[in-house]
Amino acid sequence: MFDFESFFRQFLYDPKSPLLFNNGFFVFFFAVFMSAYYLLRNNFPARKYLFCFFSLYFFYKASGIFVVFVILSAIVDYFLSNAIYRQKNKRKKKWLLICSIVFNLGLLVYFKYTNFFIATCNEILQTHFNPLNILLPVGISFYTFENLSYTIDVYRGQFVPVRKFTDYLLFLSFFPKLVMGPIVRASDFIPQINKPFEISENDFAKGFYLIVSGLFKKLIISDFITQNFVDYIFDDPSRYTGLECLFAVYGYAVVIYCDFSGYSDVAIGIAKWLGFTIPVNFKSPYQSKNITEFWRRWHISLSTWLRDYLYIPFGGNRKGVVRTYINLMLTMLLGGLWHGASWNFIAWGGLHGLALAFHKIWKQKTEKLFRTVHNTFFINALSVLVTFHFVCFCWIFFKAADFTIAGDMIHQIFHDFDLSVFGAFFNNYKPVLGLMLLAYLLHSIPDDFADKITGKLKKLPLVYYIGIFLMFVLLYGFFKSSEPVMPIYLRF
Amino acid sequence: MNANRRVLLFVVYATIIYLIASVVAAALDWRWMPARRINLISDITQHYRVEESTENDSLSNSDTTSLLPIAIPLKDKVSNFNLYHKAHFITNFNVDTNSVALERFIKKIYELKNGIKTKIRIAYFGDSMIEGDLLTQTLRKLLQQMFGGYGVGFVPITSQVAQFRTTVTDNYSGGWQEENFKTDGVKDHLYLSGHVFHGDGDWVQMKDQTVKDTTAILLKNLLCGYVSHPVNIMVNNSSLAIHPDKIFNCIPLDKSKSTSIKLSVADPALPVYGISFESESGIVLDNYSFRGITGIEFSRIDSSFLSAINAENPYDLIIFQYGVNLLFRPYDKKFNWYANALMPVIKKIKTCFPESDFLLVSTADRAFRYGGQYQSAIGIDSLVKVQALLAYESGSSFYNQFETMGGTNSIVEWAAKNPSWANKDYVHPNFRGAEILGQYFFQAILTDYEKYVRNKK
Repeated sequence: MFDFESFFRQFLYDPKSPLLFNNGFFVFFFAVFMSAYYLLRNNFPARKYLFCFFSLYFFYKASGIFVVFVILSAIVDYFLSNAIYRQKNKRKKKWLLICSIVFNLGLLVYFKYTNFFIATCNEILQTHFNPLNILLPVGISFYTFENLSYTIDVYRGQFVPVRKFTDYLLFLSFFPKLVMGPIVRASDFIPQINKPFEISENDFAKGFYLIVSGLFKKLIISDFITQNFVDYIFDDPSRYTGLECLFAVYGYAVVIYCDFSGYSDVAIGIAKWLGFTIPVNFKSPYQSKNITEFWRRWHISLSTWLRDYLYIPFGGNRKGVVRTYINLMLTMLLGGLWHGASWNFIAWGGLHGLALAFHKIWKQKTEKLFRTVHNTFFINALSVLVTFHFVCFCWIFFKAADFTIAGDMIHQIFHDFDLSVFGAFFNNYKPVLGLMLLAYLLHSIPDDFADKITGKLKKLPLVYYIGIFLMFVLLYGFFKSSEPVMPIYLRF
Repeated sequence: MNANRRVLLFVVYATIIYLIASVVAAALDWRWMPARRINLISDITQHYRVEESTENDSLSNSDTTSLLPIAIPLKDKVSNFNLYHKAHFITNFNVDTNSVALERFIKKIYELKNGIKTKIRIAYFGDSMIEGDLLTQTLRKLLQQMFGGYGVGFVPITSQVAQFRTTVTDNYSGGWQEENFKTDGVKDHLYLSGHVFHGDGDWVQMKDQTVKDTTAILLKNLLCGYVSHPVNIMVNNSSLAIHPDKIFNCIPLDKSKSTSIKLSVADPALPVYGISFESESGIVLDNYSFRGITGIEFSRIDSSFLSAINAENPYDLIIFQYGVNLLFRPYDKKFNWYANALMPVIKKIKTCFPESDFLLVSTADRAFRYGGQYQSAIGIDSLVKVQALLAYESGSSFYNQFETMGGTNSIVEWAAKNPSWANKDYVHPNFRGAEILGQYFFQAILTDYEKYVRNKK
């Protein structure tokens, strides 16, 4: 029976079911938005207001009252950036920039790191401060970085601040990327706001491919492997054999990639359909032959942000060899902390920092030695394998709730590894292993494959697109209602 | 050509078709699960209930030829079966809830508390819920603090979680041959732990991490089976000749302030069970965990062996906590067959340990994913009831761990806490959750104890 009360409640924020791309509500949201956007496509100001309204409403449905922080930080940064631009006095200019940095980082630090600092303080100084009841506003890590890059670019004279507030609000709140990125640069985005709504056949096909493949990665592969395998092994590795733990790490490598890149792909795809181009965020990162290359392929919008707004301001490689390595380490440690408020993330960033430094030295020392053998298949495959396993090793710290669990995981893999249980393991986890294999196969597809697919897709009539989409929805239904895979004991 | 119209048409057509399909499916009350999970209007038309999904009931065990009908039996006027619902409470189903449930055990701990030097043994049997001394380490610590005694109790030679058990440090050589409940054709008797070990030039070194008092004298006893000839073993690098000629033997190895011991066994004929760390008097609590079992496995241990154990190490309280491994299929609701299978086991144990009180502990909560959402297993109420019935019919006491931890969906809440109290397998409370359960259990014993003290006055 139709339930009016439930119907009206759908329009309000529900903490138990925040809005994401996979909610039924999003289908209606997008259909209504798309229709209105199309109608107003030639009226640029109206189109912008519409976009801002829907973006903020999306954010409200995703995180409730925290939407005020997006608006507040848009107002503050809009005025500060304009003040920085107009200010001719260098000293005052700098103070305005510092105000912006303190405001933006202050919000982020308060919401994300207060309890971490309290816990650390209690641990080191034996104090007894109670943790505060702070909820983390969704997307704050992303829009804080966007605000910062904007005011810093204005300060550096690389960017003329927007004159209309709505332009800035739309840049910050643009709903496809608000919750989980990518981190968009104003210089890429803002020039696109006041352009005619024009997209090519190729854009349409590419957008469709990105949306459907992104949803497939996030909702089918990642969610299934997480719920049916990775989560419970990572919760208590001591209950499982080394073989299960090792596969849980491989599983998590798939999960984190599919989760993150899947969401980015959907965001980029939707943006494409609305006439906005957002740069690619993941380029098959597990195909990297070394760790430096990995960071050029993994979460590119973050790694370039860290490079431009941390590493280079620290001095980059301009202040001597030792400082270069210190800067690299600092950047990666802070980059780790950005992912979450715990020592595990700092350790994860630290390990990557060490590896990047090691690779820098290695490259310098061995360049001549390996000049002749560098491009053989064997060396390439070995490099990919070593890089992948190092990245996987670091994921242990990223995923584990604390160092004890990370230690247990490593202990089980290295000290309790028993191949004789493989048969039972395989039998129980067949669906999970199948999806993992599929994910790795999809990942190994060459980078230009998407272009080939979209080249073929764009010739199809619309009815095929609708058919493919509905089939995907049905597939999602199958996975959502599938029997869970239960853990089993392989040894007694 | 501008394809923006194509985007619009795609979005509008796809939404309309999807919406029509959803309305039709809802109107026809189509119960096909994949379609229900993606129905666009499900949030405003229907609320999925777990109870509806009983289509897989046929999967549940069809062996319902029960000797124990699941109706509330009224044995006599002084007992009330429904007391099994009560959380934080140990019941022997006596309507007088001021009477003591664990009569003999509570009397003994009262005497211990009042200066009578006596050793009180508790055997805590369980599955993976108590693996690694979880729950029992808290209960042991609290009981020993309150009533006296120290020592970690029984420790098997090795276990799957030996490296993670914090109450004992356990190092051992790699050659120990191990047989257990899951091994076919075991020749020797399996101990209460469900294991037996044979060493051929193998050693084990254990350190009891629970004893903090450096002046305390700690007994270290070897628990082993029968061997036809005298055997030389090495204890802390000194040779010791022993002749375990009974089917079960408890051989003192060391009595000193040291909390650690090293044992080497060269003769594979000797069935070794483990080492017990205990004080001269006070509480000794043995953890007998075996993952994945339901308790029925104890039918493999014969009465004469159980009686021999009782002769050497008589127990005052036997706690029996299983059940979660019966809930391995989401839609199982009938567990009468379990009552039939377990009743003889309980009777056998009660007969072989005649001086002991017997306390049956219900399963804790466990959840499955029903329609994309984790909820308590739909069979959990009927399982707890069957377990209570087993206690009731066998004249044992009962402790409802499921209700004590919070009842329906508590495991989901525990897993969602920050920091969490349970793992995301929605089966196992983690060390934080197990500590809470241990504290609850201790409080329930204390409540029983206080009733005894009150009644005595």
